[in-house]
Amino acid sequence: MSIASPIIDANVQPHFRHNAEIRRYLAPTHAMRAIPDVEQQWYQAPRGDYREDLYGDHYPGSDPATVARHLFEDAGVDVAILNPLTRGNIADYLLNSRICAAINDWQVDRWLDADVTGRFRGTIRVNPEDPKGAVEEITRLAQHPKMVQVGIPMQSREPFGKPMFEPIWEAAAAHGLPVAVHVNGGNGVDHAPTFAGHAHTYPGYAAFMPLNYFVHLATLIVEGVFGRHAGLRFVFADGGYDVLTSLMWRLDSFWISMRDQTPWVDRPPGEYLVEHVRFCSSSLDGPTDRQQMQQWMAISGTADLLMYGSNYPHWSASTPADVVSGMNDEQAERVLWRNAAELYGSSLGIAPSA
Amino acid sequence: MCSVEELPPGAMKLVELGAYGVGVYNVGGSFYAIANFCTHEGAPLCAGFVGGTNEFDPDEPGGLRRAREGRIVRCPWHQWEFDITTGENLANPRKRVRTYDVDVIDGKVYVTA
Repeated sequence: MSIASPIIDANVQPHFRHNAEIRRYLAPTHAMRAIPDVEQQWYQAPRGDYREDLYGDHYPGSDPATVARHLFEDAGVDVAILNPLTRGNIADYLLNSRICAAINDWQVDRWLDADVTGRFRGTIRVNPEDPKGAVEEITRLAQHPKMVQVGIPMQSREPFGKPMFEPIWEAAAAHGLPVAVHVNGGNGVDHAPTFAGHAHTYPGYAAFMPLNYFVHLATLIVEGVFGRHAGLRFVFADGGYDVLTSLMWRLDSFWISMRDQTPWVDRPPGEYLVEHVRFCSSSLDGPTDRQQMQQWMAISGTADLLMYGSNYPHWSASTPADVVSGMNDEQAERVLWRNAAELYGSSLGIAPSA
Repeated sequence: MCSVEELPPGAMKLVELGAYGVGVYNVGGSFYAIANFCTHEGAPLCAGFVGGTNEFDPDEPGGLRRAREGRIVRCPWHQWEFDITTGENLANPRKRVRTYDVDVIDGKVYVTA
C-alpha cells in the first residue's frame, strides 16, 4: 500500500554503534564509571530486541545513513523524531543525569548537526530522579532548533504526577516541548514490571508494560498537573492507546463520585486527554482483527490522540500501512501526520494546514 | 637510572631499589619517585594506572570536578589513590607512601634511596 499523505514517524530509537561509544561523550569525571549495556534486560525478545536483519558489525539503528534509507526511502517517512533510551533507572541519579547529557550530546553530534537529510529531529533525554539536573538539561538544550521534545523512561519509582517531578514538567512546558515517555528496559533499579509482580516470560512483560502508562497518566490528571500547566503535553510513545478507553471510563466514574477529594480537577478526567495527551502507535495495539477497527475507533474516539511511531529498530517495528490498516482516510491522515504536526508545530517543517 | 629521554611525561620506570622497588614518574616534566609498596596491604602500587581524581564542586555537572590529572596513581588491588608528587593517600593523608628525591643532572635521572 502506498500512502499519499505526509508521514511523521514520532518514535525512532537511535543507538550507539557499540556500548563503549557513550564514554566518548562523558566527561573524565564520569567516563570510567560502570554503566549497564544497552541490550541487557531480564526480559529479552526471543530473537533479540531489534529487527533481526539489522544486526551487523554495529548496533541496529546506529548508522544515520542506514536509518535514513530504511525510514525515508523504504517506509516513505518524511520526518523522524529520534527518541533515544538510556539505561533504565540507575541508583546513582547524578551519574544517570550525566548519561542523559552524553546521550544528548551524541544525538546532536551524530544525528542532528551532521544530518544531511534535514529530516531527523531529536529528544532532550532527562532523568526524572534528578529534577534539578533535568531542568538544567532542558534549559541547556531547549534552544537547539532540532530538539522537539523532552524524553523520560516510563520506569519510575514514583508516578509522574507527584510534586517532586513538577519542576521538570514546568520547564518542558515553558519551552513548548512535549514530554515523551517510553518503556525503557535497560538494567537498573526498578520495581517489578507489572503491578502484580514479575511476568514469567517476555510476552507477559511486553504485552502489558504500557499499562503502567495509566498510573502516570492518572496521577498527572488527578494531582492537578495538567490543570496547573495549560501548555504541558505528554506523549506516551510506546503504544497502549487501545486500552486507554476503558481505563479512562473507570477514572471518570470515580471522579463523579469522589470529586470533592480533588476539586482542582474541574472536569471529567477523560476531558484532559485531547488537550494534553498523545500516544504513539505500536504493533501490539488495536484489534487483532482489523475488520473491527472502525467499531473500535467509533467507541474509543482515539483518532485524535494517536501518532504513527515505527519503534524502529525494535523487533516490533511497524510500517505506516500496518498502523493505519482498517482506518478510514481521515483517521489515517490524523495518525500518520496531522496529530504530530499539530503537537510539534513548525519545528517539524510540516505545516498542520497542508 | 636512565636518560631524561627515556622517561617522557606520563611515563614511569620501576627501579630495583630496596625490598620492593621504586617507581620513578615523569609528571608533566617534573620527576617524582614513590615506593612500589601500597601502605594498605603491600600491593605493587606502581603497577597501578595513573590518572586524575574527582573533587566535589557543587557548580559542576554531577557535583564533580576533574583534578590533579596525571598525578594520581591508583593501587591495582583496592583502588586506593595516592598523589605521586607528595606520596599522600587522598582519603587519609596519614597513609603516605614513601617518596624519594629525584635529580636530573646532565640529562640523566638519579634517584636517591
